[in-house]
Amino acid sequence: MKATVAEAVEVGTQLPSLTVCFTRERLIRYAGAATDFNPIHYSEHSAKQAGLPGVVAHGMLTMGTALRVVTNWIGDPSRVTSYSARFPRPVVVPDDADGVEVEFSASVSAIEGSLVTVRIEAISDGLKVLGAARAEVDLGVRVPHRDHES
Amino acid sequence: MAITEAHAGRRYPAIDPYQVSAAKIAEFATALGDDNPRYRGQSPIAPPTFAAVICAPAWNQLFSDPELELSLERIVHGDQRFTFFRPFRAGDVVIAKVTIDRVRIRAGSELISATVDMSGRDGDQICSAQATFSHVRRAPQ
Repeated sequence: MKATVAEAVEVGTQLPSLTVCFTRERLIRYAGAATDFNPIHYSEHSAKQAGLPGVVAHGMLTMGTALRVVTNWIGDPSRVTSYSARFPRPVVVPDDADGVEVEFSASVSAIEGSLVTVRIEAISDGLKVLGAARAEVDLGVRVPHRDHES
Repeated sequence: MAITEAHAGRRYPAIDPYQVSAAKIAEFATALGDDNPRYRGQSPIAPPTFAAVICAPAWNQLFSDPELELSLERIVHGDQRFTFFRPFRAGDVVIAKVTIDRVRIRAGSELISATVDMSGRDGDQICSAQATFSHVRRAPQ
């Protein structure tokens, strides 16, 4: 763990944000790495057959990328004890060089002892692409209580 | 016969033991664009959502169950929750078992909630993954 995290964290602490471009190449890479070969993630034809506007990113790619905000912050990924999210709408990925931007941000929503809950947001094209995303991390040391500044 | 609410509680046998390798961890981290040094080198841990790699064959067992009459391209991941007891490490041999927790029949779709329990060869819990999938029913032809 980065030594500064437990010392400085409080409810409302903003984590450094992250912007990532999802391209078709990234989808193919993730499909292979995750062994998720649902054709809606690479075939326009299959995506449209399934009623989608086009090829969409894996929900787990969005969720996995979003967690980087938290693991970059704490340094040690083994401190993550739970992680949950909903996939309210798909991230449609165009077949071009630029792909689509997804912006990830996060802030501390609760602290209890050494357990810190982080709320994560993922926005693409102005819309939330993760719902109720929460990661819980165990900092291993009790977070000192800080009174609100007057 | 297609999937019904009565399929709640259906358990599938464990998938073939999954051996976590440093190469697969690095491949997965690269796919996420994540350069965290803990995911590289001789004895890495895996990114937490690597759990999805191990869930995949368990989920596929469910998706390809002929009794449920599901079609992969009509399945959408609705939500996901992971509880991590410890990280996945290179060298782990993971046993994963999937259970259908609940089935809800909606107009035009079925909502399937399932849990994958992942444990080490000694039975130690590593991760529990609860997912909801929505399966779009084909319109009657």
